[in-house]
Amino acid sequence: MNAPANAPILRIEGLTKHFGGLTAVDDVTLEFAPGRLHAIIGPNGAGKTTLFNLISGFLPSDSGRVFFAGREITGLKPHRISRLGIARTLQVKSVFHQLSVADNLWITAQAQRGVLNPFRSTTSYRETCEKVERVLEQLGLAALANQQAGTLSHGDIALLEIGMAISAEPKLLLLDEPICGMSPAETARTVAKIRELAQTIEIVLIEHDMEVVFEIADDITVMAQGAILASGSPQAIAADERVREAYLGRAEDEDYIEEPVRA
Amino acid sequence: MKRAAIERTMLIASAAFLLTVPWLVPAIADRFWVSVIAEILIWSLLAASVNLLFGYVGLLSFGQALFFGFGMYGVAIGVEKLALGFWPALGLGIAAPVAMAIVAGIFAVRLTWHYFAIITVVFSLIFYFLALTMKPLTGGDDGISFTLPAVFKFGGAEWGFASATFQYFFILATVALCLYALRRLLGSPLGKAFMAIRDNDVRASLIGLNVYWLRLTAFVIAGFLAGLSGALFAFFGRYASASYMFYHVSGEAVVWAIVGGAGTLFGPLVGTGLFILIREVVSTHWQHHALIVGAVAILIVIFAPRGMVGLWRDFMGRWSGGEK
Repeated sequence: MNAPANAPILRIEGLTKHFGGLTAVDDVTLEFAPGRLHAIIGPNGAGKTTLFNLISGFLPSDSGRVFFAGREITGLKPHRISRLGIARTLQVKSVFHQLSVADNLWITAQAQRGVLNPFRSTTSYRETCEKVERVLEQLGLAALANQQAGTLSHGDIALLEIGMAISAEPKLLLLDEPICGMSPAETARTVAKIRELAQTIEIVLIEHDMEVVFEIADDITVMAQGAILASGSPQAIAADERVREAYLGRAEDEDYIEEPVRA
Repeated sequence: MKRAAIERTMLIASAAFLLTVPWLVPAIADRFWVSVIAEILIWSLLAASVNLLFGYVGLLSFGQALFFGFGMYGVAIGVEKLALGFWPALGLGIAAPVAMAIVAGIFAVRLTWHYFAIITVVFSLIFYFLALTMKPLTGGDDGISFTLPAVFKFGGAEWGFASATFQYFFILATVALCLYALRRLLGSPLGKAFMAIRDNDVRASLIGLNVYWLRLTAFVIAGFLAGLSGALFAFFGRYASASYMFYHVSGEAVVWAIVGGAGTLFGPLVGTGLFILIREVVSTHWQHHALIVGAVAILIVIFAPRGMVGLWRDFMGRWSGGEK
């Protein structure tokens, strides 16, 4: 809209979410500058996925506000937020398993238009069909176009999920552990795709693989126990004492989750 | 490509059979079977309504008989109490269940899985008991009988359900039209959106689909199919009765749809045909025909989760795979 070019693509103010007695997201205030690839890291249970759920409207927040491209989106329904231009993938890979790969992309691309005409054949929508072809090519899934999505390998499903996210032509893409459970070859392929996508789409990703995060992220935010521990460039994060103590330096220690962290 | 050829041949053969039933069947068997086939066609629409919800949107309704009953009563009350002609009465027999589906759907589609199944049963039970008690309007258990109005009149000539052949073709044409419309629907953006919700409603809302409205739309279309089925059945039987609103009728339609093949276009018709034929053949010799129905249903659900049509597809897949 009329937001200045360097205005944050996403701004979060004092966002809080409780689950019973547990504070999953604790008064989080964050800004994501445009044109930079952001990563959110943190131990399990730090509230990263909950934060995504709050941004995408999947969970209502208890307090706080979310602004996307200058527009407040707090409290909007997920499909409204999606149509404004925020796409996301889920931690547990989530596609339409009985539909073909091409149909998965087709419905994702078409859903953004809002109108679902029952009297026209899907094949008569040239623009949408062409977009599907493009995304299939771009992700190297063209050979699997007619295969049922549920029969794909884990790595291909993850790629399809990213494909679905981009066929919606979002302004902002939220990736929840995009390379979780992948083989090294699949990881390399997916990381290359994410880098490529980041040229045209704003990306925020949650990832556990530190090597990958420090390789591709421009900015890193560290979360622990629902709050933000640190935020900055990879160098700054790597040098941050609190982060090292709470997270990085104890990577071999299995029970780092238990460690109380004070920001 | 052999497989496509075989399936096309079967489709043409079935169509040819259905188009010649009024002459072919009395010649090789008995005229009685013509009306059995007509009945199968009518009930297959009720099964199709279950299938649209369960097979394509992922909602299992045990209450479709409610809309079937509203279709029946729309026609019977239209003809008998309001003295309407055939077409206005048919219109009422469609409008009443569609209106009911909108009202019931507004509440029901907020829920999924067993909660959805339960609320659909509750709705149909409420109106079943209402229909039983509102005797002056519905005739209660006895129902309402009516005299058939003519379908078309040209000068002195009349065509109507009084002619078994006309009745059969009217039903065949209606059912064929519905199946064709369903086929078009399933190949349309709306159909794909339905299937996306069936597969993954969380993801569906994340890609921007309004899951609530889409489920409501499907529920109303399903109400239309069930209602039309009931309206046709009223004209076919020349009466309406509250007993057709009981959830037992809904349950039968669920069995027909699942055994025939949920999520396939022709599954409901196949399932309905199988069970009505079992009933007609066995019930004259043995009163416990429901036992056979139950056994077949259990076997199919265990060994062919995608129903008879799914079984056929698997068979054709393996056969044509080995053929190459």
